[in-house]
Amino acid sequence: MTGLKLLEHLCTARGISGFEDEVRDIIIKEIKPYATGIEITPLGSIIAFKKGENTPKTKLMLNAHMDEVGMIVTYITDEGLLKFSNVGGIDCRVLCGKPVTVGNGVAGVIGAKPIHLLEEEEKEKSVPVKDLYIDIGAEDRAQAEQYVMPGDAVTFHSIFDSSHGMVKSRALDDRAGCAVLIEMLKCNLKYDMYFVFAVQEETGLNGSRTAAFAVEPDAAIVLESTTAADVAGVDRENQVCNVGGGAVISFMDRHTIYDRGYYRMAFQAAKKAGVKCQAKRAVAGGNDAGAIHVSRGGVRTVAVSLPCRYLHSAVGMIAQEDYQSMQKLVFELAEMIAGGDPND
Amino acid sequence: MDELKELIFRLCEAPGTPGDEITAAKAAATELSKYTRAHMDRMGSVVAKFGKQGAKKHFLLDAHIDQIGLIVTNIDEHGFIRADRCGGVDRRVLPGSPVTIYGREVLSGIVCCTPPHLSDGKEDKILPVDKMAIDAGLSKEEADRLIRPGDRILLRSEPRSLLGTRITAAGLDDRVGVAALIRCVQLLHDKDLNCEVTVLCSSREEVGGQGAVTGAYAINPTHALIVDVSFAEQPGVPPEKCGKLGGGPMIGIAPPLNREMTEHLTETAKKCHIPYTLEVMGGSTGTNSDEIAMTRKGVQSQLISIPLRYMHTPVEVIDLEDVERTARLMAEYIKGVE
Repeated sequence: MTGLKLLEHLCTARGISGFEDEVRDIIIKEIKPYATGIEITPLGSIIAFKKGENTPKTKLMLNAHMDEVGMIVTYITDEGLLKFSNVGGIDCRVLCGKPVTVGNGVAGVIGAKPIHLLEEEEKEKSVPVKDLYIDIGAEDRAQAEQYVMPGDAVTFHSIFDSSHGMVKSRALDDRAGCAVLIEMLKCNLKYDMYFVFAVQEETGLNGSRTAAFAVEPDAAIVLESTTAADVAGVDRENQVCNVGGGAVISFMDRHTIYDRGYYRMAFQAAKKAGVKCQAKRAVAGGNDAGAIHVSRGGVRTVAVSLPCRYLHSAVGMIAQEDYQSMQKLVFELAEMIAGGDPND
Repeated sequence: MDELKELIFRLCEAPGTPGDEITAAKAAATELSKYTRAHMDRMGSVVAKFGKQGAKKHFLLDAHIDQIGLIVTNIDEHGFIRADRCGGVDRRVLPGSPVTIYGREVLSGIVCCTPPHLSDGKEDKILPVDKMAIDAGLSKEEADRLIRPGDRILLRSEPRSLLGTRITAAGLDDRVGVAALIRCVQLLHDKDLNCEVTVLCSSREEVGGQGAVTGAYAINPTHALIVDVSFAEQPGVPPEKCGKLGGGPMIGIAPPLNREMTEHLTETAKKCHIPYTLEVMGGSTGTNSDEIAMTRKGVQSQLISIPLRYMHTPVEVIDLEDVERTARLMAEYIKGVE
């Protein structure tokens, strides 16, 4: 599977943090014929090694995370409704009125009080998470318990649309990064490289922290999806990055100050590959780099992200052109880093 | 129940916002045409007749075919779509929602939602609908080519089965009412009746009931049964305003509704062992029955409501049993007309 088909397959798989099994199975199936070796870490991340034509000067690890944000069932009420908690940073304004899937494929909805029965001030406020619940159509707790239990994962039930040069889908963060790595693994590489598909990024960078320890790299490229705030009502200076502007290179975010040499090298790689790229114009967010760059004695780290609108909601949006630019840029950058001196 | 579910899913998948009900109306007409002749009136409502033509009693069976949605007002300089409400959309469910835009082609879009890093802790405030924007991922030129002011937008939610006989979809208000009418016609079309019956799947209920007003005038009935949805029990909603999901149809009691018909309906329900609840309203009902009762010199009317949770969100929930019971209650009532 390649291209948009692969991306759709990955994005429609369900896998909140700690429940990455379905995504992991897909990835293993895809990369098995191409990887030299595959290891599953104790926490569930995949470490795939691929032999290249040459031994690299710099031991490079490429990382994308398999998990997505979602919810988890915490309690079943007497009426058979499910209370839940967020897993990862979900914007509470986007929950109300959404269809979801619970546990082993049980359909549910996050309901809301009818507008007809709201007080005036309630009409213009989002519903606090504590007042939300999931309705799976159970008549009471006993019926609900036959199908779901506390600890079950909840994901949005959403769309996948790739018309007009865009992709609108759930879980683009970070299945798009996973897809880029899978495609890269299928190519002939100039140097040996390690590919990590990490678990539990959204809840604390746990998968990449432990995988980086295991791989013990000199350098890392983190593939992410990052907030593009180029939407209606946001000034250009607050837009962070633009959909259609190419892959996004970070200089600093909430967890990491990135390697300055590699930051500049990423722009050179884009130029060499003949694709657009842009700087992330804000110190916001964070990703697996936060854990990787401080692994063992330190790892020189760079983050290349896909600009994505409506991150951490039921449906995000990326441009296919950016996705392709990101592939080319990462491929080029990986060769430059692996072939370069680790101290330059 | 599966057949009824499939029928409701077919009706819900056909879009029909107020004033643009054509696709949904055609879907309803196709279903009705299996049993009797159906046609569209000039307000976009579907009309179908059966029973004893010219009988002294003429029953109008009404359910509205339209559903709430949005209407495109403008496309801004960056290609974002501006829209306003077309019916009582709940703004709280809009941010970050996937939508379907019915332009020159069917397009997907997302209601813009400011990223959390820009909301400065004022996260719970939700803009009025006309200040929101919809992102179809199109350039200004493409958006102008494909979308025009007046085009309609629906919140996207695929019909799905929940546990047991419960289902969820957008627009169950009032496609389940339409489904109940179709099911009622299915039960009655080959029976000898003492009355004339006209089915009206009326347009524009969500913006004032114009389809019911003009439809009822043209049909000129003596009696009317109106099927709409009403609130089912759910957390945070006062129980005295609610029916119960799976508790059977809610038979209305309100000043504009005919008390004799109320009594007949409850008697019929008891006789046929159809569970029901009563829905008591102090003034008007907020449904088409308010308008239909006042048609010409007046029409004796009664309201039957199907209990529904999360009204006017894209994830409305009903119990199929309640739809089937509503259809049976109407059919038994009409069979009993002398």
